Amino acid sequence: MTPPTTGAGALVLAVVALLGFGAFAYRAWRLYRYLRLGWNEDRRAGLAGRLKDELVIYLLQRKLLKRPYIIRGLAHAFIFWGFIVITMGTVDLLLSGLVGLRMPGAESGFFVWAVDVFAALVLASIVLAVVRRAFFKPPRMHIALDGYIILGLIATLMVSLLVFENAGLAAGYLAAHQAVPPFAQLLPLPYPPDAAGTVFAAAWWVHVVTVLGFAAYLPQSKHLHIVTTLPNVFFRSQRPRGALRFVERIEEQETFGAATLRDLSWKQHLDGYTCTECGRCSDNCPALATGKPLDPQKIVLDLRDLLLKEGDLLLKDPTATGTPPARQLATKPDELWACTTCAACVEQCPVTIEHIDKIVDMRRYLTMQEAAAPPEAQRAMTNIERAGNPWGEAAGTRGDWAEGLGVPTFAETPDAEYLYFVGCAASFDRRNQRVAKALAKILRSAGMSFAILGSLETCNGDPARRMGNEYLWQLQAQRNIETFGRYKIRKIIASCPHCFNTLANEYPQLGGSYEVVHALQLVQDLIEQRKIVLGPGPAESVAYHDPCYLGRHNGIYEDPRAVLDAIDGVTRMEIEPHHRERGFCCGAGGGRMWMEEKVGQRVNHRRVEQILAAGDAKGERPSKVASGCPFCLIMLDEGVGAKGIADELKPVDVLELVAGRLTDTGSDPRSKETATA
Amino acid sequence: MRLLVCVKQVPDSTTRVKVAPDGTSIVTDGVTWSISPYDEYAIELALEHKDTAADTVVSVITVGGPRTKDALRQALAMGCDDATLVTGDGADALGPLGIANALKSAIDALEPDIVLCGKQASDDDQGFVGPALAEALGWPHVAQVTRFEVVHPGPASPAPGEPQSSEVVRPGPASPAPGEPQSTEIWKEVEGGHEVWKASGNAVLTVQKSEKDPRYPSLPGIMKAKKKEIPERALAGVDDPVKIEIVQLEPPPARGGGKIFKDGDTTAHAAELAKLLRDEAKVL
Repeated sequence: MTPPTTGAGALVLAVVALLGFGAFAYRAWRLYRYLRLGWNEDRRAGLAGRLKDELVIYLLQRKLLKRPYIIRGLAHAFIFWGFIVITMGTVDLLLSGLVGLRMPGAESGFFVWAVDVFAALVLASIVLAVVRRAFFKPPRMHIALDGYIILGLIATLMVSLLVFENAGLAAGYLAAHQAVPPFAQLLPLPYPPDAAGTVFAAAWWVHVVTVLGFAAYLPQSKHLHIVTTLPNVFFRSQRPRGALRFVERIEEQETFGAATLRDLSWKQHLDGYTCTECGRCSDNCPALATGKPLDPQKIVLDLRDLLLKEGDLLLKDPTATGTPPARQLATKPDELWACTTCAACVEQCPVTIEHIDKIVDMRRYLTMQEAAAPPEAQRAMTNIERAGNPWGEAAGTRGDWAEGLGVPTFAETPDAEYLYFVGCAASFDRRNQRVAKALAKILRSAGMSFAILGSLETCNGDPARRMGNEYLWQLQAQRNIETFGRYKIRKIIASCPHCFNTLANEYPQLGGSYEVVHALQLVQDLIEQRKIVLGPGPAESVAYHDPCYLGRHNGIYEDPRAVLDAIDGVTRMEIEPHHRERGFCCGAGGGRMWMEEKVGQRVNHRRVEQILAAGDAKGERPSKVASGCPFCLIMLDEGVGAKGIADELKPVDVLELVAGRLTDTGSDPRSKETATA
Repeated sequence: MRLLVCVKQVPDSTTRVKVAPDGTSIVTDGVTWSISPYDEYAIELALEHKDTAADTVVSVITVGGPRTKDALRQALAMGCDDATLVTGDGADALGPLGIANALKSAIDALEPDIVLCGKQASDDDQGFVGPALAEALGWPHVAQVTRFEVVHPGPASPAPGEPQSSEVVRPGPASPAPGEPQSTEIWKEVEGGHEVWKASGNAVLTVQKSEKDPRYPSLPGIMKAKKKEIPERALAGVDDPVKIEIVQLEPPPARGGGKIFKDGDTTAHAAELAKLLRDEAKVL
């Protein structure tokens, strides 16, 4: 259709376009300069993964289509796909209106059809979005005028598009060779046929001016994500999710952690621009759900707001430091310390914002720079320094649990194939010592060649690192890596997901690369290869609780379930809907195990309630809840104890269930002798 | 104001101490060494004072072999301004009077206003060095200290050796008359409460506890402490008149297993428990 921009029209359009794009460019340039205040983190490596992310997360909208957000996710996907198609149409409109050129393919039947159909789909999705905001307010979603303005603008765009197509058809503006927009053709004419030309021109102008107004408004709005999501997804961290950022040459740094906005990387600031304020992170946060001051969305938005507020000051004066982000509000440290690093927020964020990294960077500032960690956290760190475990148990007694079990140390059998890295909890906590013993029994039954380090093992450093003490983590990791090197250890079994995660995903940062398995992965293999055989047992319903550092952080959802399913008589129960990638933290991660929890409901108590509720929904409460993490076990034990249901719902480790069913038939007596020798 | 904290390096409380084959010493291999807990409280108390009065200088001192330098670095990392190591042959073998004398000669040179010590060390629990040091210096000593506050900075410290006094005052803020020499209000813990004492001039305080837990060092603090020079003072010529000899060390006896009542009804358990507590444990 010929645009109504003959003569002065093109000039007016040019002026409006200049104003619209000019306003966009001015504001975008400022935002870019603020963003570059962040340190220059190199996020280029891993191109293949980045391209795949663009396809899956960006184009296919994978992270939007998560339960329980399927319908709203689909609505967004239609708006998004529609936007891509219609933006091409808009480019064509502007080109033809300004200089009379058509975009290649713009007149093809397919394109005309796509624009038309998506306009209708987008319009329908907009209606859904407005109704949802107005009448079914989603929990924790940030509802502001901004959202309605954006929805209004998009609706105006779609309506004006359909109207000018419709009127253009009625006015006979369609050239003979052009494809007919199918949807616009079907619409009735709510105006006299002789007014069609005027209606066409009016709607066309409304459409084009709205597009340009949209461009001008965009950088002031959360809708900026339509521009920033593409790079934000592209540059997302390609580290394993469970690995925190390594601080190189830490002893030479002058400040530690996010002391200023300059100490957050440009990508962290891009995260802030990209946040759509959808609230899915907050929706899934165990701290927020139980009344803590932490709100992951607020973490992101507060940083963005601080950047917008102090950006000019920092740009003007290169020596200015501004407000330390961890001190932005008096309550900020409380927010930061409430995080369990469970990654529910990271898992759910549709635009791949990295919440945990920000929280840990700010914790690093509080802990290392200011020495202002909570007293209990400081005690745990002092204990790690002095005793090699956060509880301050005597380091020399680390291997005592194994006495009389025939579990050798590497000092005794330096040629053992596997190291069982026991971890502090299973070494010192009496309840978890039973899990270590169970695993030892399984490994011996399977004839595995393994040994422990005894008192040479020291805390892997995970609690310190997540409390913000990168320095202590590096010291602990180096000590362990040295010990592993002394015995030429290549293969490691961990029964604790936190040990597993830091050994597998973080030790490589210090040059310690090993073949690390979690005990439940290994046991699943042993069962599959019939290296262990499990005997019969009574029928019981066992709920499976996903530990965050097995599930969300490392994607190990299936192996523990397969092990449970392989135990005769055990019926596995899912803790719906809080299971798998929506599993609810026990409350102990991120160093919270050693901190007091005085505000709101205890996270582990909520978890126990969820288990009971899931059972009730299925008509049968489980008699046990099995997990694969010593901290989950401690927290669940405390939870059922506090609720007075310790006799009805027994927390166990999956390994204990397996060890209780071992029969001798599966083992190879030869290798068994070697193991006990 | 100059504060001096005297510390002792001891096996950390998380270390499982083993008796050496000679039966009179402990195995030092594999021991983690740290500052004795009451000394850490003394450091914290001094640093808390520095937090409120910026012109405060907090020094730390210890007597011992080269290993004890780590304790001084730890104190520097916490925020102390400087450290002194009194060392020489036999430094590890000094008795408490010898230590007090060694500290005295260093203190004469360092000229602090107030000296703080932990009330006792966690290894031998003697609680002797602090009072002995006060005696050697001729300064008043206040024990079981939990807090102190300088109420009047005073013109200058009186000459060392000059006799001084301390008196019990009623709790509450005292307003010093102008021209009065430096005086310090000292909170000491007593059964069921605390007393406030006032010391005019120098004093030795032996510390029971600080209000807050001893602070965790910041990383800049740790890095600065690593680079800081620690001057050494020679131990030579220190008088160590009384020798204390350890005759024998024995590990505590292994604890016996507890008793658990499992089956049966709770009333019977209660009766059985009362019987055992009376007849066997003899605590009722």
